[in-house]
Amino acid sequence: MRRRCLRSLGALLLLSAAATAPSVNVVQAPSADSDTSTDLPPVIAPGGQTIGSPHRGGTLRLTADAGAGTADPQINYNSEMISLQVVVYDGLTAFAKRPGEASNQPVADLAEALPPPEDGGLTYVFHLRRGVRFSDGREVGVQDVVASFRRIFKVNSPTAGGFYGGIVGADACLKDGLHCTLAGGVVGDEAARTVTFHLTHPDAEFFDKLSFPHAYVLPADTPARDLGNDAPPGTGPYRITSYDPNHGLTTERNPFFKVWSPEAQPDGYPDHITYSFGLTDEAEVTATENGDFDYMYDNVPLDRYGELGDRFADQVHINRVFGTYYLPMNVNLPPFNDIRVRQAINYAVNRRAMQTFYGGPAAASVLCQNVPVGLPGYEPYCPYTKGADFDHPATEWKAPDLARAKRLVAESGTRGMHVTLVVPNRAVEVAMGTYLQNMLRELGYDADVKPIAFAIQFTYIQNTNNKVQISINDWYADYPEPSDFLTALYGCENFHPGSDSSIDISGLCDHPFEDLVHRAALVSVTDKAAGAKLWAQADRLLVREAPDAPLIQFKKIELVSKRVGNFYTVNLYHMLFSQGWVR
Amino acid sequence: MSAALPVPVRVQGPWEAALRALLRIPSAVASLAVLLLLVLLSLSAPFYAHDVAHTDPFESDVAATVTLHGEEVPVMQPNHNRLHLGLTPIGPTWHADADLLGADSQGRDVAARLLYGGRNSLLISAAASVLCIVLAALVGICAGFFGGIVDVVLSRLMDIMWAIPVYLFAISLSIVTVSQGLQLGPFTIRSDNLLLPIAIIALVYVPYAARPIRGRVLSLRQAEFVLAARCLGVPRARILLRDILPNVSTTLIVLAPLVMALALLAESALSFLSIGVQAPAASWGTIIEDGQGLIYTRPAVAIAPGLAIVVTVLALNVLGDGLRDALDVRETGRRG
Amino acid sequence: MARALLARLGQTVLVLFGISVLVFLVFFATPGADPTARIAGRNASPETMAAVRHAYGFDRPLPVQYLRLMDSLFVTRDLASFVDHGEKVVPEVMQAAPVTLSLVGGAAVVWIVASIAMGTVAAATRGSVLDRSLMMLGLVGISMPVFWLGEVANLVTQSRYHDTWLFSWVPGLGYVKLHEDPLGWFRHLVIPWCVLAVLFIGIYGRVLRADLVAASGEDFMRTARAKGLTETRVLLRHGLRTSLVTFVSLFGLDFAQLVGGGALLTEVVFGLQGVGRLTYQGLINLDLPLIMATVMYSAIFVVLANAVVDLVYLVLDPRVRDGR
Repeated sequence: MRRRCLRSLGALLLLSAAATAPSVNVVQAPSADSDTSTDLPPVIAPGGQTIGSPHRGGTLRLTADAGAGTADPQINYNSEMISLQVVVYDGLTAFAKRPGEASNQPVADLAEALPPPEDGGLTYVFHLRRGVRFSDGREVGVQDVVASFRRIFKVNSPTAGGFYGGIVGADACLKDGLHCTLAGGVVGDEAARTVTFHLTHPDAEFFDKLSFPHAYVLPADTPARDLGNDAPPGTGPYRITSYDPNHGLTTERNPFFKVWSPEAQPDGYPDHITYSFGLTDEAEVTATENGDFDYMYDNVPLDRYGELGDRFADQVHINRVFGTYYLPMNVNLPPFNDIRVRQAINYAVNRRAMQTFYGGPAAASVLCQNVPVGLPGYEPYCPYTKGADFDHPATEWKAPDLARAKRLVAESGTRGMHVTLVVPNRAVEVAMGTYLQNMLRELGYDADVKPIAFAIQFTYIQNTNNKVQISINDWYADYPEPSDFLTALYGCENFHPGSDSSIDISGLCDHPFEDLVHRAALVSVTDKAAGAKLWAQADRLLVREAPDAPLIQFKKIELVSKRVGNFYTVNLYHMLFSQGWVR
Repeated sequence: MSAALPVPVRVQGPWEAALRALLRIPSAVASLAVLLLLVLLSLSAPFYAHDVAHTDPFESDVAATVTLHGEEVPVMQPNHNRLHLGLTPIGPTWHADADLLGADSQGRDVAARLLYGGRNSLLISAAASVLCIVLAALVGICAGFFGGIVDVVLSRLMDIMWAIPVYLFAISLSIVTVSQGLQLGPFTIRSDNLLLPIAIIALVYVPYAARPIRGRVLSLRQAEFVLAARCLGVPRARILLRDILPNVSTTLIVLAPLVMALALLAESALSFLSIGVQAPAASWGTIIEDGQGLIYTRPAVAIAPGLAIVVTVLALNVLGDGLRDALDVRETGRRG
Repeated sequence: MARALLARLGQTVLVLFGISVLVFLVFFATPGADPTARIAGRNASPETMAAVRHAYGFDRPLPVQYLRLMDSLFVTRDLASFVDHGEKVVPEVMQAAPVTLSLVGGAAVVWIVASIAMGTVAAATRGSVLDRSLMMLGLVGISMPVFWLGEVANLVTQSRYHDTWLFSWVPGLGYVKLHEDPLGWFRHLVIPWCVLAVLFIGIYGRVLRADLVAASGEDFMRTARAKGLTETRVLLRHGLRTSLVTFVSLFGLDFAQLVGGGALLTEVVFGLQGVGRLTYQGLINLDLPLIMATVMYSAIFVVLANAVVDLVYLVLDPRVRDGR
């Protein structure tokens, strides 16, 4: 998600800040790149069992500056809630709770096994496990699974169209959610305990989408409305007992939980996991350092980095995230409707400086392409660095090439135009924006940087009516696939002129690119490796087309209290709370 | 009660007399000198930046270096601990040619920005406080003196202004002015027009200053000298000008520097929403804002402009005291 | 009397109506403020957007939306936040009110006592070094942004010197209820009280000193002095009362605004979940229901406080009554 962070100033009446916006979840990456400082590498509980372990028990206390939206797992799209829901709910599949790259893989969760694709990838038949119970004691049945998929549409889940629109019958459900049946799309067979999915087209990411929180399985009688603060029963080792977005959240063990698959859903160590809301990010750091809390959710403010390194290095964990900062440029508005201008920006931008504003090389790495390091389809490629071009691409970014950039701008004849850069008013983006304004002026533009309210900026820059020329945005993967950075951000189907929800911010709709990503998606259904090659090709095409300037890939800096042991991260979520030791 | 009763003949104009009286008070003269110095310092900003500090305070450069004790030192200093996390801008060096007061997180010289910032801050806050006090005096005196429906309407209007969330308006205004300016009839006001923060800040504090003035006027209008003037058939306007205004001037003179101090801080909140002072330009408020992100490492960034505000407001207060003494005939009479 | 009361009530309703309409219009006039996309979630499809827009009634005409909003805020009281969909804003504000009252009430005591002491001492020793340094101290207080001051207070008491004897008594940030743990309540709030009060001590001390000095020239003060009372007695007995008009006017405005949520930065920086923090959450998320609820709550206090202040004028200066 685009995360919240507090930043305020001290006028008497007026205040300023930054806030929450839509959400995404965070993908973390292999430990090769991570700087975990515990003596022993963290491990999942042996056999998924924690009973009898000396570390079992206690309360894991988490802190965040504010609540995390609705507790309805099929609607919430906020990584703060999602990282907790991982230990509360299950879907038919789940991302493996294994270390490193292995956690990118979907594995069977409530399903007995991952079914092979049938009908050329149009049909999947899942066999439902027996004996798994919701936290209210009822056994998970076929009708629960079917009802949960209907409910995605009944409650207008954010991803209903994006992720689940490819199921047969989804079209009708999107138009009229209340009477959604998904007839012919999701078919349950009570006797055989199977659920059969029929798709309109083959989908290489189908298991990823089933593992996404909006596809969690809830009891069939869960009301078809946003449940607000009342979390429905789930199947994981914990159940949410209370939630108040202004104060906190409590969980306790799910008494009906039994381990059925250690890599899908292991049992937890702490007896309780609680969230307290209301501290500023600075206060969260101090409270975690003091041991008042065990884990802080929000980003550590930059001025605390020195202190963490000096005094609390053992309590800090740095992990790569599938998240990037980039500059979307509107390909339909001057001067960025000229490809030379967009390429000039890519040559001119000092990615090292952007890295500095995020906390230096330990906190982020420079990025010159759209697919971040660690995802299939990433191949080191950088034509936009000093001494490189499209015919002689470098493998990594070294320095900006201002001379070439100025030449391209001169060729385009756009010098002297007025350019407004729209950034959210958070410390990091404002710092980046101020720097980029300098760069734009140096290129000869009459440049302004406009920080606007964080809550609005994300939707504001999407709407073509607002005529935003260039902006700063950050993006996290929903699941570890390159399409989340290519098709999602630049596909024609995600460009909706005049709408606040048009995530193709630059407005690109390029047919060679479209053909390539469709081919990549299709090939990936049967051959992941060949698919990855095509994704890499699509990325290069995009880099050349330059609808954006990729800036950095950032890392997640996680601070825990002194007493926390077995800090275990999986790629998609932050710390896996069920595996932390507080004893 | 000589001041209150209309005196037909005066040897000297009242303002001239007041000025002479003012210049006889040493503390007032000193504060005038301090204010003048502040203005001069702000005006000398380009000279300081160019010829003393040899830096461009509007140019972000995180790779910059400065020469300190003959050594080349990076302005953004990496943290040399085990995690290598984060960079810290250089702290105060006390060398005018090498970031005298340190650098901010963009690697810019804080001292030079402080001088440049003084221009915007002094202009905005002075204009806003004068505008605010004038409006407040107008509203407060009218509401208090005329009473009745005038009072009800004005007072409730003040209530609305005081209760409304200014920040919401500021957000709205900032977004309205992102691409094009604010259209007011034939005029277009761009968001970097300093009239916007001046007007907003002035309006925000009008109820704050008007309310006590109204309270004063309520009791003044029944005072003996006002009643006497009314009985004598003196026109209302004349009573307002001659009797009421001088008597609320104490409150006005005290409030003006206070409003100015509040304006100096409020300005930064608006500029954070890109209304008024815009990046890369500086004001004292925006430097404090920058410094708030460096509280734990470089507190000097926020403290330096804070001190500048204290000095300005202090000088204004002392000047206000002197002005009041100079204007108050009773006082000078007794002293003289 | 009853008529005056009714008139005041009518005015209050008008003020509330004016403010609510203004807030509502400003919200919907802001480009990009349309909450649909933010409720629907990131990358929601056009169909989902349309469904959400219809479900929340954003496709209705603005006057209808306004009436529905007011109805669920004042009549059915089930208005829920656009961000935390399960959060009913009316109970949330009621739950937050005691926290804010504790913070602002305590701070008010601090700033009234300190500023009266400061103002009278400065006025009594007018022109002396003590007077000058007190006034300077007050201005330093005014010049410090409250958020910065709060962060520095936290830096000193929670972080850098937390383990020393001086500040080891300071509990972690947050709030405990007065009736559950009176001592804990006090320890949690004493630093926020002081931080919030600093600004007002400066303003009120300064204003009071000036009015005392001005009053000392008035006839009744001279009479009092002529009776042979000491200067301090004259100041406290006779000067203070009439000099409090400005003081009380400002107090009415400030107290009302703070109780209504104006202390948002103090509440945020100290992790106090009061009305101010709700206001802050509403504003940073541009969450119309929360903004509307906190603004209405605040407006009621502003109108109320000004009514009380008008009554206090009568007590302070009998001349006001004669004019009525």
